[in-house]
Amino acid sequence: MSSVFFANLPYLLKGAFYTIALSVITIGFGLALGTILGVLAYYGPKPVKAMIAIYVFVFRGLPVLIVVFLFYYVPPMWGFNLDVYLSAATALVFYSAAFITEIVRGAIGAIPLPQIDAARSLGLTTAPMLRLIILPQALRFSLPPLLNNTIMSIKITSYSSVVGVWELTFAAREVVERTLAAFEIFLGVMAIYFLLCFPLSVISSRLERRLAIPSFA
Amino acid sequence: MEGIQAVLVNVARLLPRLTDGILVTLEVSALALIWSIVWSLVLLPLRMSSVAGVAQVTRGYVELVRNTPLLLQMYLLYFGLPLLSLPLSAMATGVLAIGLQHGAYLVEIYRAAIRSISRDQHDAARALGLRPFTAFRLIIFPQALMRVLAPLTNQSIVLVKDTTLVSAITVMDLTLVGKMIAERSAASDAFVVVAAFYLALTSILGLLHRVIEHRYAQRT
Repeated sequence: MSSVFFANLPYLLKGAFYTIALSVITIGFGLALGTILGVLAYYGPKPVKAMIAIYVFVFRGLPVLIVVFLFYYVPPMWGFNLDVYLSAATALVFYSAAFITEIVRGAIGAIPLPQIDAARSLGLTTAPMLRLIILPQALRFSLPPLLNNTIMSIKITSYSSVVGVWELTFAAREVVERTLAAFEIFLGVMAIYFLLCFPLSVISSRLERRLAIPSFA
Repeated sequence: MEGIQAVLVNVARLLPRLTDGILVTLEVSALALIWSIVWSLVLLPLRMSSVAGVAQVTRGYVELVRNTPLLLQMYLLYFGLPLLSLPLSAMATGVLAIGLQHGAYLVEIYRAAIRSISRDQHDAARALGLRPFTAFRLIIFPQALMRVLAPLTNQSIVLVKDTTLVSAITVMDLTLVGKMIAERSAASDAFVVVAAFYLALTSILGLLHRVIEHRYAQRT
């Protein structure tokens, strides 16, 4: 049964490499953008807060696949012809970052106000207070949801195959169209995705129990 | 002003073609939601079973479908079922795949809700002389149901968003109709109208989620 899978494994692993690269880009840039926007959504001036709220509303409300298609069809209308990898990666980053923005904003909001009063009374200004008091605690709250977001990001990279990005799911379809071995290939590829995602979900649920701060509940 | 007018003219021009897609999207969403709830209610007793192995096998299934992309699961069924001489329509295959994954998510929502009800409640019910099943039916279940409603609505938003994937297995839903208009008639702005519709749909469900959360959050 599995000989078809193993015969095509090198090709599929090349696809997995593209999936991992796309995931790293999505998560890396998503984290950077989402953290900045999450902090601004809490501490920024009103117009900035409003703009971030609109961004989060739109990108969390839209299906990922629609975001991928929008970044694929709309830029050429304005005369920008983006490479399909670039347009798909941008779409995934903006989608993932919208969720991260909410996670970060929520985590900052979960820090009890007396902490801020205490930091102020110690004479800390906003920047050191953020760096020393707020963000380290916010990180603790947000680690499990951020890991879940990472799992989601890995899974949604497969959607970029629909606009022609060559990665693991695209490679799997090519192999199935050539060999007709739908079960062997798709189940084998599911196993590859599972190996990428499952350890993260185990870590996430363990951290959720370990990192909870009882007195904050 | 002219910009807005142009957009409205475009929407009016595209609407008849998009309507068919909207109806298919709503149909897939409704069927997949019903099927995922049915499937989750089949999985729940298996997941919580005390019979050796049953809970473990069910957990394996739940973890597998939650940790792999839905698109891949859909391809597996779409290309695999005909090989088993089970030729389902593309739409039925899409609905089946969505329900198989979302049922697994729902089971975890139920479990979290049941676990969140304190052990004391169960003990108190037992102390009053209720049998384990009666205690579950009268004490645990009604409270768990309250706590399930909000996350269930939230999950249904994810489900509606996931219906877009049926476009990848040839179902003529709103996504595929929009894609075909965008490609054939070079009317890429069709996709903006499509996106606006999805945003409206998930916003309505989001509003429902907030209402439910508000109503049931304080009572439990």
